[in-house]
Amino acid sequence: MHCPILIAVVIWSSCVDSQKIRGISLSYKRFYRERKSFLCIDGSKLIPFDQVNDDYCDCADGSDEPGTAACPDGRFYCTNLGYRPHYIPSSRVNDAICDCCDASDEYNSHTACQNTCRNLGQRERAEVKSQMRALDQGLRLKQQLIEEGVLTWRDKQAQLRDLQRVLDDLQTQLDDLRKEDARRKKEVDALRELEIGALETEENSHRSHIMNESPVSIFYELDSNRDGRLSAKEVRAKLTDIQDGERVLSEDEAVIRGRVPGRLVKGEPVLKAAVSAAEKAAAELKKVEDAYETVYMEIRDLREKLATDYGPEREFLFLYNQCFQLKVHEYFYELCPFNQVTQTSASGAEVSLGKWGSWAGSPQHRYSQMKYENGEPCWQGPTRNTVVTLTCGTETALRSVKEPGKCQYVAEFQTPVACRPALRQQGVHSEL
Amino acid sequence: DIIPFFHRMYLQLTLVLSISLGIIQAVDRSNFKTCEQSAFCSRQRALRPGQSSYRALLDTLELSDSRLTLQLLNNNNKVRLLLELYRLQGNITRVKINELKPIKPRYEVPDVLITDPPTEPMSVVAQDERGVVLSLGGVDRRLYVNAQPFRLDIMEGPKLVLSINSRGLLAFEQLRMRKDTNDQKDTEEAGKKEDTEKIEDKASEGEEQEMEVDQPGMWEETFKSHVDSKPNGPSSISLDFSLPGVEHVYGIPEHADSLRLKNTDGGDPYRLYNLDVFQYELFNPMALYGAVPVLLSHNTHRTTGLFWLNAAETWVDISSGQVGLCGRTDGSGEVPQTDVRWISESGIIDVFIMLGPRPADVFSQYASLTGTQAFPPLSSLAYHQSRWNYNDQEDVAAVDRGFDEHDIPYDFIWLDIEHTDGKRYFTWDKNNFPQPKDMLQGLMDKRRKMVTIVDPHIKVDSSYKIHSEIRSRGYYVKNKDGGDYEGWCWPGNAGYPDFTNPEMRTWWASMFAYDQYEGSMENLYTWNDMNEPSVFNGPEVTMLKDALHGPWEHRDVHNLYGLYVQMATAEGQIRRSGGLERPFVLSRSFFAGSQRYGAVWTGDNSAEWGHLKMSIPMCLSLGLVGISFCGADVGGFFKTPGTELLVRWYQAGAYQPFFRAHAHLDTPRREPWLFGPDNTALIREAVRQRYALLPYWYLQFYQAHRTGQPVMRPLWVEYPEDVTTFTIDDGYLIGRDLLVHPVTDEGSRGVTVYLPGNGEVWYDVHTFQRHDGALHLHIPVTMSTIPVFQRGGSIICRKNRIRRSSSCMENDPFTLYVALDPQGNAEGELYVDDGHTFKHETDRQFIHRRLRFTSNTLSSSDLSPDSQFPTASWVEKVVILGAQEPKAVTLTSSGGGESSVEFEFDPVTLVLTLRKPDVNAGVDWTLQLQ
Repeated sequence: MHCPILIAVVIWSSCVDSQKIRGISLSYKRFYRERKSFLCIDGSKLIPFDQVNDDYCDCADGSDEPGTAACPDGRFYCTNLGYRPHYIPSSRVNDAICDCCDASDEYNSHTACQNTCRNLGQRERAEVKSQMRALDQGLRLKQQLIEEGVLTWRDKQAQLRDLQRVLDDLQTQLDDLRKEDARRKKEVDALRELEIGALETEENSHRSHIMNESPVSIFYELDSNRDGRLSAKEVRAKLTDIQDGERVLSEDEAVIRGRVPGRLVKGEPVLKAAVSAAEKAAAELKKVEDAYETVYMEIRDLREKLATDYGPEREFLFLYNQCFQLKVHEYFYELCPFNQVTQTSASGAEVSLGKWGSWAGSPQHRYSQMKYENGEPCWQGPTRNTVVTLTCGTETALRSVKEPGKCQYVAEFQTPVACRPALRQQGVHSEL
Repeated sequence: DIIPFFHRMYLQLTLVLSISLGIIQAVDRSNFKTCEQSAFCSRQRALRPGQSSYRALLDTLELSDSRLTLQLLNNNNKVRLLLELYRLQGNITRVKINELKPIKPRYEVPDVLITDPPTEPMSVVAQDERGVVLSLGGVDRRLYVNAQPFRLDIMEGPKLVLSINSRGLLAFEQLRMRKDTNDQKDTEEAGKKEDTEKIEDKASEGEEQEMEVDQPGMWEETFKSHVDSKPNGPSSISLDFSLPGVEHVYGIPEHADSLRLKNTDGGDPYRLYNLDVFQYELFNPMALYGAVPVLLSHNTHRTTGLFWLNAAETWVDISSGQVGLCGRTDGSGEVPQTDVRWISESGIIDVFIMLGPRPADVFSQYASLTGTQAFPPLSSLAYHQSRWNYNDQEDVAAVDRGFDEHDIPYDFIWLDIEHTDGKRYFTWDKNNFPQPKDMLQGLMDKRRKMVTIVDPHIKVDSSYKIHSEIRSRGYYVKNKDGGDYEGWCWPGNAGYPDFTNPEMRTWWASMFAYDQYEGSMENLYTWNDMNEPSVFNGPEVTMLKDALHGPWEHRDVHNLYGLYVQMATAEGQIRRSGGLERPFVLSRSFFAGSQRYGAVWTGDNSAEWGHLKMSIPMCLSLGLVGISFCGADVGGFFKTPGTELLVRWYQAGAYQPFFRAHAHLDTPRREPWLFGPDNTALIREAVRQRYALLPYWYLQFYQAHRTGQPVMRPLWVEYPEDVTTFTIDDGYLIGRDLLVHPVTDEGSRGVTVYLPGNGEVWYDVHTFQRHDGALHLHIPVTMSTIPVFQRGGSIICRKNRIRRSSSCMENDPFTLYVALDPQGNAEGELYVDDGHTFKHETDRQFIHRRLRFTSNTLSSSDLSPDSQFPTASWVEKVVILGAQEPKAVTLTSSGGGESSVEFEFDPVTLVLTLRKPDVNAGVDWTLQLQ
């Protein structure tokens, strides 16, 4: 009913001045001194003072109606004694929804709003207190983690230097071995030339020649390391042909059997020896090449990891090589920072939700978000990606994973290193 | 996460529909029949215009007070039909044709007409051996029955209004016994041989009864591995209508095509067969989700309507051209003519000829047959936020918060299929929606509402209550062998309740009771999707035609299924409130009469400029056939809109009746604040314009509910003599007084708007600039422009205090926009009630006032003195456009005496603003300008 409102307004305004300035903060009070007229704050219009808060919008900037819903983009000041004051859009005044905890926005609706400011204030103070404690603890932990990070960083640098030395060593060996290998190969080639010539003439008598071969030459054939003794290893290596089934010769057996002339012996002993030496050199080369490759990759990986941005104080370095899991209903999520995010369903199917991309926070807080990109592609859509928001806490853990849009995941990752001293001023909660 | 499941689902869907993954750009046409592929359509279309084989047997004529019957004889096969003619109240003629003695009953569509239409007496004016002349009332309205060949002509004075069967396309396939009774199918060879023999027989037998020739597809039809067993054989019907002097025909939705229907010569006819068409194409006559077999014809002096009451698959051929008229008219030269031919697969011919003559008359006539638009709750006219899907309660809360943080109003948030426990409707996903009532209460605290989806396919799962009850009660549609029909849809294997069964509908309605639908509350409403019905593994993605609904085949009832689903759901919502609250139900499928049950939308459109443009003719076409509560998914369902398209779509959607943003599961999120502050502001402004105009929208729906006039109107409806308007479908009217021409082109710098009305003026609602009517107006546009004009001579009420939801604005004051015509007059109406109950009807609790400005006096008078409603709303401001500066303004209100009102006048724009008349909206008052 409109009439009762009018009556109420009349009664109020005749008693107290404050009615006129409903909805303004202290700092704005100076604009609303009771005079004959009111100048809109933007200076656009001069109106009689009794048109302030008379539920009709006169000023383009809405300044004449701070306490009513009359102006389109006005704002109403909730004093909220006992809690924090704040502005609400004036369209929320008298809409039957309690917005200000002091109930001041619903002065003319049928909604009975309770003043909850004291409770809210207490609760908030308690919450802030505990959050401050958590923040302090978080910052201490962060310091430790930074120090750990420094050590890890040094370790890694040392490791890198060591690896580099090993690599250099291997390089030298490689150079030698390559020469040796080339020399051996050449020798074999030369001998083989000769052998071919000889074989062509002896072709028909070859078999009996082998049968008549002296034990000495057989010995040389078997003694592949030329130490004048036959080891079981040497015999096994040559005797694979005559091994029965999967049975492996015992050492004794090998030695005895080795003495028995066998059909394995072929060719001229000098050539045999040369071939064997060349093979050995090649194997040795291969071994060192493999080692070189391994170390090289290790160095590359390490360099790559060390090149990652771990924050201004390398505070995120400790996350290196760690993974964090979380189960959400039937899904199992795993975040491996600076590496990848995956999702595993109850059936065991693993899906990549993105590989490490970059820090993605706002320019002021670059390290507040991580982006993981190029996960498994979606049907008719882009590839999956995950944005991980880092929040301050005393533990390091994956707190939530969600999929607000198809194949676009958001995760909350809590860790002390996300704690910033600045949060102390902000009261931790940004929305408060 | 829902990906793996949907991957699977889509793969199944993909296999079923044989669509290729990843590169689908538009509909796969091969999934849907052409007329050629539909046996009866192809048979019927093979029949060319010529002399009709039917003659009227005048000696069988019987005339009661209101009904004339006459037998028609097919000269070829000697089968007799029964013609019934009725003169109905309100200038409507009903023509019914059925077999005189069918071997079993043919389906007649129930539940669409609101009553047995009241008749008026008919009398024979003249009769001879050539025919009969009947009086249809008026001074000179006559119905001529020509005996041989059979033909009906409706005349007004010397003018032929409409002819029936003048092209001889009446074709009625009588029900027959199958001749190969041994059930062994003849080989095609034998069949052909037999056919040839029969044709020879016919030639020799002369006048003797012709042996019926079986043609392929009469007793069985196969489409893409789906076999239609057709146990009743051929049963199709066809009839032609000629409309002399007509070049423009409209209606027969739903098609993604221009407002004006096109010639179908040389192409496929317009098809009416409710189908779930994946990524539909624009500008073609393919069937879509709904069907309203009503066609309107219009020329400068007459509008007529044809309502073909048949729920089977139907095709409509339209052929326009110039013909030389002969016979009863003056026969002078060539005149345009449009011929319309209707073909349906089964049922009877039952056609209502609505003779206008004005557009408004046709709308009333059609409303008298099928009822008017349900009067929706006011909040359902506000903005709806939807997406497939809001994932969990927290997501819903966050979106709700987002609207408040960005100060954008909304009334409804929607939950798509993922909210359920495994697509079991009436349930909630336990993980994501563990406390639905908490969620609904949270929305209620903000005076907002929610819609959940309830589809008509029921997961076959014995532990699911809904399924086991329907099964045990025998409420499922049956397959031809009598078992429960099952098909694939979202839940996997699903049954389809037989909504044609009234008992089933009553039971379904009872499932919406608060104690049945667990977690539901009074601010929870319903969305019926997939009710064509959609069956992923069925022929053309729908149900087998030989499935059974009681005694009737699905073939007979197909186009009615969606209507029944919405009917039963709306009934459920009414009943859960003890009959007090108005329901809100959105349906994808519809039929004639669906307007009585709620809203519809244009289905699964795409985020493309063409689809934005198309939303206008699609909703206009629906409005013409009674369904006013229409909208398109704002932003487009499939694909991702660019920011410009999204903003433009919000601007267009804000001025369409049903205003809902919706998006496909695979698209990125697109809540209004995700595109930077500038775009957020543009969208906020569009939504706010909608909220400000809610009193006007509500009034339009009240009018639509009372009179059947469409809310969204083509220009020709209000300017029927202005031929320029006849093809316009990029601009339209809301009611009579607002003309909207949304920007629907990418990178647009300007639009050309046609403002109709010779001697009229229009005011730009944003700048108040005045423009003359009957002119094309080019207006430059920026991203913030929504071209909207108020008709000079109208008064529109707005609420300019935009709040979080429409409910919050309930008691807010009105601002009256008085747009003067060149004579300095204006008129408008105001309607106020509680916004959500039936008390306006049951207790006459409403305010309906006439606002009139004439002789420098604005007054508010009661249009409905026997109704009352207490309102806190008052008049805060009056803005008079095209005004002169007064010396003083005096307010006189009933019981309030006289007072002076402050005002401001802008001599440049001629806008006079009256400051705070401060009078209650429900009382009489006058404002005198001196």
